[in-house]
Amino acid sequence: MTKHDALRLLEEMLEVGPDTLTPERRLWDLAGWDSLATMTFIALVDRELRLPLPGNRVADCETVGELLSLLEPAFARRAA
Amino acid sequence: MPFAAVRAVEYHLPAGVVDNDALARAFPDWPAEKVAAKTGIARRHIAAPGECASDLAVAAARKLFAAGACRPDEVDFLLLCTQSPDHFLPTTACLLQDRLGLPTRAGALDYNLGCSGFVYGLALAKGLVETGQAANVLLLTAETYSKYLAPNDRGTRTLFGDAAAATLVQAGPVPPAGELPWIGPFVFGTDGRGKENLIVPGGGLRRPSGQGHGSAGASPDHLYMNGPEIFSFTLRAVPEVVAALLARAGRALDEIDLFVFHQANRYLLEHLRDKLGIPREKFVLALSECGNTVSSTIPIALKEAAGRGLLPPGRLVMLVGFGVGYSWAATLIRAPA
Repeated sequence: MTKHDALRLLEEMLEVGPDTLTPERRLWDLAGWDSLATMTFIALVDRELRLPLPGNRVADCETVGELLSLLEPAFARRAA
Repeated sequence: MPFAAVRAVEYHLPAGVVDNDALARAFPDWPAEKVAAKTGIARRHIAAPGECASDLAVAAARKLFAAGACRPDEVDFLLLCTQSPDHFLPTTACLLQDRLGLPTRAGALDYNLGCSGFVYGLALAKGLVETGQAANVLLLTAETYSKYLAPNDRGTRTLFGDAAAATLVQAGPVPPAGELPWIGPFVFGTDGRGKENLIVPGGGLRRPSGQGHGSAGASPDHLYMNGPEIFSFTLRAVPEVVAALLARAGRALDEIDLFVFHQANRYLLEHLRDKLGIPREKFVLALSECGNTVSSTIPIALKEAAGRGLLPPGRLVMLVGFGVGYSWAATLIRAPA
């Protein structure tokens, strides 16, 4: 999975159209982003990338970019 | 040496019900239907004002007696798992001895655990029976988390329900040589770093009622739950404890006939089931009618599974409890023929 794929999955999860999310977009302003969504995201990343994300780190993310940067270890692993 | 077995299970739900329509009326901005669909909970039973966990425990125990599991005068040890005691003292189990008419020669004690409580209770009961200290252990789990919830906390009000369960643990026949015991082995786990993520901060002696602030601006006397942190804890801890239990028992995953996990919420359970590679038909879901009843979820799910014909004698069942503390435990049980 690439960063692009991850962004697509996030858009699907939040039920927004493709290419609507930019890195600067504030997560907590999005209608679909709540504590349930953070858990859905953690599960998604666990399943697709086998990357365990700590709950607080996900909940502390302010923007889409910050959220995707949590996935860097998995992308680096794939590239290696 | 006696071999302890789970002989009977009954449970009791209080009469008051909060369904998803009631939640939607209380929280118009909260997508109650969506949350309910994700959590798998349609109804939660809620104790009335003045109705305590001990009252639910009495009802569950009486159901057990009425079902013919044993007579009150045959119980020689009572274990009560609760985080909603009647008082700080005396011990609520002592009050139950009196209310249930158990003999005064019986032992009785409370122990304070949540979601892992039933599995720990089986460990304690097995110890008492197999060392000859008790013949008939009445294991009660009883909880009224509803009384800890903030009225406007829609997240927790969606999840938690009140209930009690009564389980009889007594000696069974000697298991055939080379086979597992009727209860066991066990794997335990504890991590107090999870303290802040599921807590009622006030009302105890560390912080008496009414003082200061709780986490995230909540009242310290109400229950605070950090869903995402607990979710990620569960995804780390449960696969590890399942693997450890299988290793200790010398069994492979596909040799387990049924899996009964603590019924936290359906979304989490489905994810765990999928992650562990457990087939749907072996994985019990029993939370739609009562929600997350803390230490009673596993006995309730066992009773429901039995009702669905999933528990003929000899079926090997894995029980996994995990949550507040953090505390977790897992074991295998099977019913003697």
